[in-house]
Amino acid sequence: MTGRYGRYALLRAAQAVIVILLAYVLTFLVISVLPGDPITNTLRDPQNGLSEDEIQQIVAHYGLDKQAIIQLFLSLGRFVTGDLGFSLQSNLPVAQLLGDSLPSTLALAGTALLLAVVFAVVIAYGAQYLPGRVAPGLLRSVPSLFLSVPNFVIGLVLIELFAFRLHAFTIIDPDSAVATFFAALTLAIPVSAPLAEILIANLDHESRQEYVLVARSRGLTKTRLFARHLVKPSMLPAVAMVALIVGELLGGAVITETIFGRDGIGTLVQKAVTSQDVPVLQAVVSLAAVVFVVVNLAADLVSPLLDPRLQPDRAAARTEPGVVVPA
Amino acid sequence: MTANLALLRPTGIPRAVRRAATGVPPTVLLAALVLVGVLLWSVAPGVFTSFDPVTGNTAEKLLAPSAAHWFGTDYLGRDLFARVVYGTASSVTSALVAVLIGLVLGSAIGLASGFLRGWVDTVLGRVVDVLLAIPGFLLAVVIVSSLGFQTINAAIATGVSAIAVFARLMRAETLRARGSVFVEASYLQGGNRLHALLRHVLPNAYRSVVALAVLQFGTSILVIASLAFLGYGDPPPASDWGLLVASGKAYATAPWLVYAPALVIVATVLSVNRISNWMRKAK
Amino acid sequence: MKNPTPLRRVLRGLAVVVASTALLAACAGSAAPAASGTGTGEPVEGGDLTFLIQGYDGGWVSSKSSISSYEGNLWGEITDKLVYADEAGELSPWIAESWEELNGATEFVLNLKEGVTFSDGSPLDAAAVVANLDLWAKGNPDLGIPKVGLFPGSNYDRAEATDSSTVHVYFSSPALGFIPTLGYHGTILLSPETLALPLEEQADLTNQIGSGPFTVKSWEQGDSYVLQKRADYEWGPEALGHTGPAYLDTITYKVIKDTAVRTSTVVSGQADVAFNIEPQEIESLKAQGFGVATPRYLGFTDGFQVNTSIFPTNDVAVRQAIQSGIDRQEILDTVYTEDWTAATSFLQGNVPETGDYSDLLAYDPEASEQLLDDAGWTVGADGYRVKDGQTLEFTLSPNPYVPSTQAEDELIAQQLKTIGIKVNLKVVDVSGYAAIQADKPPLFQTSRSFVDVGTVAGVLTSQNGGEDWWKLGTSDEKLNELSTGIATASDRESRAVLADDLQQYVLEQGYSIPTVQLVQRLYLTNPKLQGVSFNGLAYANFYTAWFSE
Repeated sequence: MTGRYGRYALLRAAQAVIVILLAYVLTFLVISVLPGDPITNTLRDPQNGLSEDEIQQIVAHYGLDKQAIIQLFLSLGRFVTGDLGFSLQSNLPVAQLLGDSLPSTLALAGTALLLAVVFAVVIAYGAQYLPGRVAPGLLRSVPSLFLSVPNFVIGLVLIELFAFRLHAFTIIDPDSAVATFFAALTLAIPVSAPLAEILIANLDHESRQEYVLVARSRGLTKTRLFARHLVKPSMLPAVAMVALIVGELLGGAVITETIFGRDGIGTLVQKAVTSQDVPVLQAVVSLAAVVFVVVNLAADLVSPLLDPRLQPDRAAARTEPGVVVPA
Repeated sequence: MTANLALLRPTGIPRAVRRAATGVPPTVLLAALVLVGVLLWSVAPGVFTSFDPVTGNTAEKLLAPSAAHWFGTDYLGRDLFARVVYGTASSVTSALVAVLIGLVLGSAIGLASGFLRGWVDTVLGRVVDVLLAIPGFLLAVVIVSSLGFQTINAAIATGVSAIAVFARLMRAETLRARGSVFVEASYLQGGNRLHALLRHVLPNAYRSVVALAVLQFGTSILVIASLAFLGYGDPPPASDWGLLVASGKAYATAPWLVYAPALVIVATVLSVNRISNWMRKAK
Repeated sequence: MKNPTPLRRVLRGLAVVVASTALLAACAGSAAPAASGTGTGEPVEGGDLTFLIQGYDGGWVSSKSSISSYEGNLWGEITDKLVYADEAGELSPWIAESWEELNGATEFVLNLKEGVTFSDGSPLDAAAVVANLDLWAKGNPDLGIPKVGLFPGSNYDRAEATDSSTVHVYFSSPALGFIPTLGYHGTILLSPETLALPLEEQADLTNQIGSGPFTVKSWEQGDSYVLQKRADYEWGPEALGHTGPAYLDTITYKVIKDTAVRTSTVVSGQADVAFNIEPQEIESLKAQGFGVATPRYLGFTDGFQVNTSIFPTNDVAVRQAIQSGIDRQEILDTVYTEDWTAATSFLQGNVPETGDYSDLLAYDPEASEQLLDDAGWTVGADGYRVKDGQTLEFTLSPNPYVPSTQAEDELIAQQLKTIGIKVNLKVVDVSGYAAIQADKPPLFQTSRSFVDVGTVAGVLTSQNGGEDWWKLGTSDEKLNELSTGIATASDRESRAVLADDLQQYVLEQGYSIPTVQLVQRLYLTNPKLQGVSFNGLAYANFYTAWFSE
């Protein structure tokens, strides 16, 4: 298995690198479709107080005086060597801006992921094992409801209730533990829905499998069954999904951070969009792609080790959504 | 909330609507009614309200909901219900445009990948990987900021970020059909092969594609509302639902300016999701 | 918590809220305490004030053509000025204990208060004042720092320190605007060391050493700024009735972009002051006992400056049609409250030279249509006017510095639609607005505060490096004449006559289209906050503020 696994791992890693580079190129192309020229427009804004010499210097740094294709390769070259350029808005290195914003977003996304998983497990467990028909039926419709409420509405309601009425936290200190919890809740609700759905579906499927019947006949309690047999295999596709969910958390952070006034990657994007700060946008999107691809790669490399049923050859042939399929 | 989440739906996206209309649950009927209502709003808003969505009676500003003004009035005395109804066209039609873009481009990519295999599949597969690698909402934000802040651009952005989902599904369906088709059509020449493939793929695929499209419709409404909320859609006096919520939240003493459009969004998307769920389960 | 509520009531409230989704109703049930605001009783020492503000994106280089309304709030607490200008524009001594006007207002002598020091301990003496005056008048080209926009720089010759507490200032022609401008929020006194720093280091707020009642304790750009009081401060303006150290211990400026959130945060008792709230919320906030101050600065009114060099406002008929096509009373009734009044000129009503030109600004849509008809603009099928195949349309961007301008512009778009002019809206935030102003679209909202009418000449034309708001350059002879006359008048009476002509002419030509008297700085305050006063630039002085028990 090791030889075959090694080749598989190497192939997947190589593909991951290619996808990251292509994501950078795609973003570059999308941004350069821009009518007008955001970089020089911003530079010539008199409020920035840049002299003509300085403008020329920056233009030369970004190679804006060259053809688009050459600009692309220059830009890609800088990206590969870790140079993310400078923000047009604040003139600070983009890497520094990202570094400053990252901890806040990580705290938010991490908490949200945890909450989403907890919600999903609670909903799935309840839907599977609560007595009667009404309660499980209602629980099964919860994910659908969660998916129907816009993120910004959830945020506005939570802030109104818990910050302004119940004084559980204050917007003045958006990085406090409680404020982070509610921001994470905003983000977690829509994200937990698909997770719960897939857990429910997997539980439905697995509980029909024979080994569960056998175990049940041995007289194990439901809860222990749930824990011992079901969760682990059910979690496997969920692991693959985490990669997608990480991407969703980053995307959802734009709205959530804006509403809660957090200084994270999301607000960085929001500000960059309004001020057409191209280097920042380019860097954030590339970073998101890197995170996605790396998490995905990890999931793909770990899955075959978790469950012997997923040998590399079978794993490679999988067409599960969300998993990058080697050709 | 964004396009990619649709990928996470279980059961590899439904075999579909086999036992179609037998025993439709009441909630599905209700959902269908809501959707028909919303679609009518977008087609013929004038039938549902006699108020002008753009010019109001400034003497009647910030009135609470009443028999005359179902959703109250806004800060310029405009009837909020009229604004919601007239905003439906851009909020809902643009979601349809988004789904159409995702559906057409995504299906074409998926079909080409699955049918031609080889290097085409490899190349298109990477393109789809890349589209998947960028979080859908982030991609939409970047595209719309590149094209300019307009609702139609928000729709295009949302559509592009949904291409990958459709491509994935279509490729899988094509591959599934391919095996049997090529046995049957092995004696045929290229063009006929494609013809035979289409004959097999499309009837099978369209059910799952339709179910995905319905689902995407719901998420697209949310994505476009979110973009409008951030101010990336048409500027005022347009009345996209997300924009209504965003401009209404400045008026704390007139909470209906936020909750009326918010409830309309929730009711619409909930209905779409209910129908999508039912389609998936009605095998 | 401010209004202790039994748990059950909270829960019931919650249920009601969820059921009726009364999402954003602010503190509906709380009883209104007695209204307060101005100082009653003995000031109490101590206390920390939290001030919520939209944003700090402008950077901290002190001298630039204009200081934003946001940065101005903070500058006012860490620096002093030579002269204090009160709400009515009355001047009184501050760092300058007295002054003399000599030689037909071409020379001035400033006598400085002694013993004033900057927060780094260095003296605020005549030499320091000369360094500041030079910078305000000329900027520092070597460092790339522009002059202060409204400072009479074109005829400024030099300033000399005749002894450690006396400054003699020379102008090449009369400069009536000089003394009043010393009370302007752009003419803040900073340590000469600060002024000599390179641009990048001046951008660092920590390096900005002033002599004000507060000093910068800590800050995080774009997020929060903490000021603490200077215990040895004892040179406050006498006009405020208090010259010793501030009562408050600290002031924290916290950036909260969203207007509704700023308001609700103060209403819920989690902050003390919110800057720029939604005018239509004022009534209910006052009813709940909160203080709402709507000070008016001396300066230009709210409204539009017109770019006369581009389509369609290069046509005088269009400008005039817009002038009489705007219903200013409807704007007041709809968007604002009774704290606002209609503009009578393009200058604020509290500027002494401002006249009443209400008849030029009266709402008369028939006259507008007549003007457009006569100029060859015919009404097309869609209701909008066309001439030579071009639709009569332009795009407005609401001024993000002024509350409610989006609603105002939406309403103006409706009003102008009825006379066949199409107005599109483009909503941008503060950073996007800078680009709009640089672009100068047909109509753009910009205003400026000033203390003396003589300084308006600096923005009317391109003469003497003027800002040329209306893009006329020097093409309008009459305007050139009026503008030069006002800048160099040697007595106030003859200047007032010129100012009168100027206002009449500018409004007739439709160069400036005023709407309402501008309230650019609105303050929502906690009922416990006492003793807040406002200066002539409509900034709050928290120097004299204190919290009642």
